[in-house]
Amino acid sequence: MIRQKLHLLLFLLLCSCIAFAQERTITGKITDETTKAPLAGATVIIKGTKKATTTDADGNFSIKAPENKVMLIVTSIGYASKEFSAAAGAGALAITLGADTKQLGEVVVTALGITRQSKTLVYAAQSVPTNQLTEVRSTDNFLGSLSGKVANVVINQGSGGLGSGAQIILRGNRSIQGSSTALIVVDGVPINNNTYSAAGNDFGSVQSSDGASNINPDDIESMTVLRGASAAALYGSEAGNGVLVIATKRGHKGRSEAIVNSGIGFEKPFATPDFQNSYGQGNGGLIAADSSQTGSSWGAKMTGQSYTDYLYNKATYSSQKDNVKDFFRTGLSLNNSVGISAGSDKVQSYFSYTNNYAKGIIRNNDLNRHNINFRISNQISSKLSTDAKVTYIASNINGRPRTGEENSPVFDAYEMPRSVSTAQARNYQAPNSLGVMAPTNWPSTQNSIYQNPYWMLNNTSIGEARTRVIGFASVKYLLTSWLSVRGSFNLDRTSDQIEEKYQQGTLLWNTNAGGSYGLTNLVSTNKWADLILEGNNQLTKDLKISYHAGTIYQDKVYNQTIASSNGLFVANKFSLSFGSNPSTTQLGTEVVTQSVFGQANLSWRDAIFLDASLRNDWDSRLPSPYHYNYPSIGASAILSELIKGMPKAISFLKVSANYAQVGNGGQFGVTNAAYNYVQGAGNGSIARSTILNIPGLKPELVKSYEFGLETRFINDRVGFAATYYKSNSTNQLLKIGLPVGTGYSQQYINAGNIENHGVELTISASPIKTTDLTWDIAVNLSLNRNKVITLSPYLKQTALGGADNRSALPVVQEGGAFGDLYAFQWARNAKGQHIVNADGTPATSAALGYIGNYNPKEVVGMTNTFQYKKFSMRVLIDGRIGGILVSGTEMNLSFSGITKGTEKFREGGLNLGGVDASGAAVSQTITAQKFWQTASGLRYGTGEFYAYNATSLRVRELSIGYDIPVANTHIIKSMRFSAVARNLFWIYRGKSILDIPGLGKRKMWMDPDVANGNGLFQGTEYGAIPSTRTLGFNLKVIF
Amino acid sequence: MNMRHINKLVTTRLQAALLGSVLLFGLSCTKKFEQTNTDKNSIATVSPATLPFLFAHAADVATVNAGNYQVAQNLFADQYAQYFACEATYFASDRLFLNQAWVGANFNPYYTDVLPQLQTLFANTDSSSAEHALAEIVWVLAFQKATDYWGPIPYFSIGTVSPSVAYDPQDKIYDDFFKRLTAAVAVLTPLAGTTSIYSSYDQIYGGKVSKWIKFANTLRLRCALRISKVDPARAKTEAEAAVAAGVMTTSPGDDALILRSSVGGDNNGLSIMSDWNEFRMSATMASVLKGYQDPRIVDYFLPTATSADPTPGIFANYSGLRNGLSVDQLGVKPNLAANNSHQGSRWASTSVTVGGTIVGTATYASTPQNVIETAEAYFLRAEGSLLGWNMGSLTTQQLYEAGITNSMAQWGITGAAVTSYISSTNTPVAPGDGLSSPAVSNVPIAWSTDPAVELQQIMTQKWLGLFPDGMEAWADWRRSHVMKLYPVVNVDSRSLVTDPTTMWVRRIPFLDSEKQTNGPAVTAAASLLGGADNELTPLWWDKN
Repeated sequence: MIRQKLHLLLFLLLCSCIAFAQERTITGKITDETTKAPLAGATVIIKGTKKATTTDADGNFSIKAPENKVMLIVTSIGYASKEFSAAAGAGALAITLGADTKQLGEVVVTALGITRQSKTLVYAAQSVPTNQLTEVRSTDNFLGSLSGKVANVVINQGSGGLGSGAQIILRGNRSIQGSSTALIVVDGVPINNNTYSAAGNDFGSVQSSDGASNINPDDIESMTVLRGASAAALYGSEAGNGVLVIATKRGHKGRSEAIVNSGIGFEKPFATPDFQNSYGQGNGGLIAADSSQTGSSWGAKMTGQSYTDYLYNKATYSSQKDNVKDFFRTGLSLNNSVGISAGSDKVQSYFSYTNNYAKGIIRNNDLNRHNINFRISNQISSKLSTDAKVTYIASNINGRPRTGEENSPVFDAYEMPRSVSTAQARNYQAPNSLGVMAPTNWPSTQNSIYQNPYWMLNNTSIGEARTRVIGFASVKYLLTSWLSVRGSFNLDRTSDQIEEKYQQGTLLWNTNAGGSYGLTNLVSTNKWADLILEGNNQLTKDLKISYHAGTIYQDKVYNQTIASSNGLFVANKFSLSFGSNPSTTQLGTEVVTQSVFGQANLSWRDAIFLDASLRNDWDSRLPSPYHYNYPSIGASAILSELIKGMPKAISFLKVSANYAQVGNGGQFGVTNAAYNYVQGAGNGSIARSTILNIPGLKPELVKSYEFGLETRFINDRVGFAATYYKSNSTNQLLKIGLPVGTGYSQQYINAGNIENHGVELTISASPIKTTDLTWDIAVNLSLNRNKVITLSPYLKQTALGGADNRSALPVVQEGGAFGDLYAFQWARNAKGQHIVNADGTPATSAALGYIGNYNPKEVVGMTNTFQYKKFSMRVLIDGRIGGILVSGTEMNLSFSGITKGTEKFREGGLNLGGVDASGAAVSQTITAQKFWQTASGLRYGTGEFYAYNATSLRVRELSIGYDIPVANTHIIKSMRFSAVARNLFWIYRGKSILDIPGLGKRKMWMDPDVANGNGLFQGTEYGAIPSTRTLGFNLKVIF
Repeated sequence: MNMRHINKLVTTRLQAALLGSVLLFGLSCTKKFEQTNTDKNSIATVSPATLPFLFAHAADVATVNAGNYQVAQNLFADQYAQYFACEATYFASDRLFLNQAWVGANFNPYYTDVLPQLQTLFANTDSSSAEHALAEIVWVLAFQKATDYWGPIPYFSIGTVSPSVAYDPQDKIYDDFFKRLTAAVAVLTPLAGTTSIYSSYDQIYGGKVSKWIKFANTLRLRCALRISKVDPARAKTEAEAAVAAGVMTTSPGDDALILRSSVGGDNNGLSIMSDWNEFRMSATMASVLKGYQDPRIVDYFLPTATSADPTPGIFANYSGLRNGLSVDQLGVKPNLAANNSHQGSRWASTSVTVGGTIVGTATYASTPQNVIETAEAYFLRAEGSLLGWNMGSLTTQQLYEAGITNSMAQWGITGAAVTSYISSTNTPVAPGDGLSSPAVSNVPIAWSTDPAVELQQIMTQKWLGLFPDGMEAWADWRRSHVMKLYPVVNVDSRSLVTDPTTMWVRRIPFLDSEKQTNGPAVTAAASLLGGADNELTPLWWDKN
């Protein structure tokens, strides 16, 4: 039935061809006024009419016009629009456009690489100026540079240092067991954005790279963020979370150009715990009798006393306030890229090479990435053209630190007693009788887990070597003047080799003699082939239609082999050949989807627009007959063109509305039962999967609608856009608990309804616009509200990982919101009074209680751009309002008297002002040590004491640039030097949520943008690698 | 070829491709989907060739594997039995806080990892086959561990997908244990000479049926003593039948240990806690072992890390700490991990040192794991004999002493050391712990003539002999309440135990996870308890 409908649609589209009247033809060429490069995709409109056209790849256009003199309005993305007069009989026009600093981009690249005027869109789309992506960079992940620049975007950077994965959430979380991260589309095709490993609890993990971390901003020509599912119905299943549409650079006809961009950056930790520097190693206010036996800093006040240190040497007991600072180094990042483009009428090419080299703030953590990109476009005949690109990425990351509590170098460094000097700590190993290095004594706060940080730094390593090839080849053929067909084949093949080495003597990660070694190979191959028919017709004088119909075939294959040996016959000989306990496991998935789709855009007088699409997917993950379909429909009207007599001040007014559905096939292999092999003694064993399969799997569905209003005033000097949206994610594939008596612990079901709704505002203004001085403001404001309407008839709450209740547990609960945080609390009685035990310590709640939600309620960003003659300055301030973040780091450190908060009441006298079970006040006082050790418990604590309001505002980016004057005749066309900074300083930070009598509230020390992992487990920070403050310089030269 | 030709060629091809693709989607594009969606790294259905692997898995999990051991046993039964005391400030379970997120490890795996494999074996083997009988024995081994933590558990209607699975009363479950073991032995007895049932997939006895018969009878005897207070008549019948059918008699030959490989996390369960330094010898163990000058101390524990002399067997170098110490107390020097005894060298990694000398064992992770040992059979018989049951030809004293002898033999201790031990009048001593505790009891080793002391002797020696099986030791202690243990020093504010000298953890309250997924059944199960669903309500067989 569905197939018949689609075929009918296809047929209708093919038949919709109408002839139109003949008039004169104006031709011309549009170029960039600075670089003289031709502008492809620029829009030319005949003023007063609804006639419009766009320029081709070499900037040429032709448009039918009345015989008399007409005014042409020329617009192009990133350029200020201009008007030109075209007198009767005028020859070819040469039109130049200057850059536009406003962010109301006129033309955007939308789904499937289709370029559209933004005014015709029926959904919210926002462009990010590409110069903002190449100037101030994040060495961790390219996604970091989107923060604050797009409305309603939340970036959670996984804590893995250089090149590690990040999570980008648009319009809130919606998927409970899948991904809520936005789809990234490069040149019309989704790229592989898998993360192999990320922390799913606060014990920790290794944060691996994702696919996005390989995106090279130097190759980006344009980037559009489509926040809603509506914008993305054509991308199919993964587009329900919004889409980042990236178009990369290509060569242009008649234009040769080389761009060299070089940047250098220096990095320092931006947010580390607040330490106390008064009291040293010891307990109960005394220097430890045996310093080797205590890692706590509850000792005496440090006044330079003489004592015997943990290595049994005479030492001075004095404050070592820089011991953590010394552990980090100044990071360095170098970015060098060259992009060369050239083109004749027949062939255009673009070649680029980029090298990123970075030394992280963690010693031994470095990244070296080469990115080679070649694109060639051929105009074989007037009808036939081809386009092909290949990108090769080779990236090596060494010394990736583990993150979390689990003997990770950063956490180990924080745990150093406050009187242990850097010199002492660096004495971390000594040879044993066999000459093998063994750890020297270390005063750990938990000697079975935390080790000397320098041991972890130098004697363990995690390396990731990635080679990735992304390429496409496409052919386009003009069947008629109004109909073309294009077909393309795309490949994205990522191959990672992850090598882990833990020397003998490393805690936790190496339990058998000799050390431990692991080698993981991951290969993912995504293939995409499409065949798309595209056309456009003028149906009547006022009515135009454009349409696409096509088929897409996708095949994603993932294979993983893990070979490891916990134990090596020859100590620290890191080779599987020397493994004493070799073990190999293999995993793999494959998903094939095939789709047909149709899409049409109707435009009436270039003022009213109607969009509709329908897609049908056949998905290998589903049971027979495998298919499902989803539609979208939307409309917009430019009232400023429709309504006569609108006040002059209103230069543009548009309203839009749309509704869309996006389906998702679920997960690989869940329809089948599975028995898995388990390694073990003898022949090993085989066990049935403990999760009940779901033979009747249904596709997930995101339904969303949005309303938009866009207006500009006073000749576009002030702009304002507002969007209201609401989305419901239903039929989610959930793993829910079954009574284990069934023989299964969980089952897959389709259920749930998660609602997100919110408002997004973007405001732009140009308060000053003179020849010499301009000032532009762009503001993004958004709020998202999430509600879990239903979960399932059987399940009312499910955890988003981390079931161990160390600091806090993020959950999804019916009636609550995605990411509600539960933690042990300071017990309260019915009146809400805090309960204190007879000994004066705080009582802990019997069960976990709700302490807040980890998502920000609002996200704000403001960019101010100033241009004075050749100088420019851009400042980005952004932040999040609301949301709770629990610091496991502080919880753990406070047990050992390391944090600043533990400084007061060391001598006792702290009364918590609580009541006992009968409601009577408790007068008993306690010491700081007693209080913090009760609150913390060291590793499993009362999370509420360590929960912070994550509201924060910072100067995210600052760039000051100077356009170095060059003579017109010079080989160099332009040169720009800029000084840039990232994470410059905090403007505001939230405080801890509990006002503890006597101790008050503490200011949040950590960066809420950094998460232990880039998965669903968010809302707690535990030993995360600090974010960095970057200062750098950038030089861009165009030849 | 000129451009027109190319154009024409391309046009033709594109048209063909377009047409082809429409046909493709209309016809057979989903033909391979089934295959695409099949995991090539797993098996969709079992076959005769894969059945023995299922037995291996059930036995692996029923004996508490490394993945579950800490949270199933160390943090609960091992502490309640006072084999070990906890060093970690953050595990309040030694102060009787019942962390529900952990204790499910002694419940869930029996249902998700033992039950499915055994039911598949039941369905695919003849009920008169040895394969079927072995599966029945493993079934009882697993579910006894579960029911002795909680009491009523889902049992008779398990293994069927349903939104709710009923809990059954413990008396009915024990009745079923006896029936299954009796039936298994009846099947196995004529096949006693067979030595190849599941052969290399049987990691306990390598397929020797004669050993499995003894194992099943010993398990039956264990179950019988468990119900000796609540149903003495049935207990006597079952115990006498079990002994008559042949229980374990010779250590180490009859001892059941399951092989571990150390590959892929298949470690000896106890070994996993070696490097975490979270558990040390309890003061109770120190009091008894040091008081008795017990040679097994060398096997069970190591001298403290701070001892200058790594030579095993110098009693002064062994130290234990009390159970339930507060955060403050755990920070005091005598209670630090370094000053207390680590589990024995067979479960200790090579990073464990005493006085700087490595005392661990390179193969510690693959040390075979204790399941049921011969000594237990003798102590069970000794207790039955005291009750006047027919426990074979040996006297109570002979059974008691054979229990000690076999326990020693299990660890390789024989000869004069054993005979002089048996005749020793030593009693437990003050362990010399951080709290200067007194001796835990005054029970001597040498067989007493006072019947009241005899039972204490049997239960004390059984407690020593069961080490490191804290599950059985805790169950025994709850049932008999004869062996003396120290009261826990501090009780967490979240525990219902208000006076640890007179109150103790009697059972584990029903799991939070079960309340979430199986709510109505858990509510109904509360009525089977004969008391509130909390840790103070005794189990059916606990009549103390």
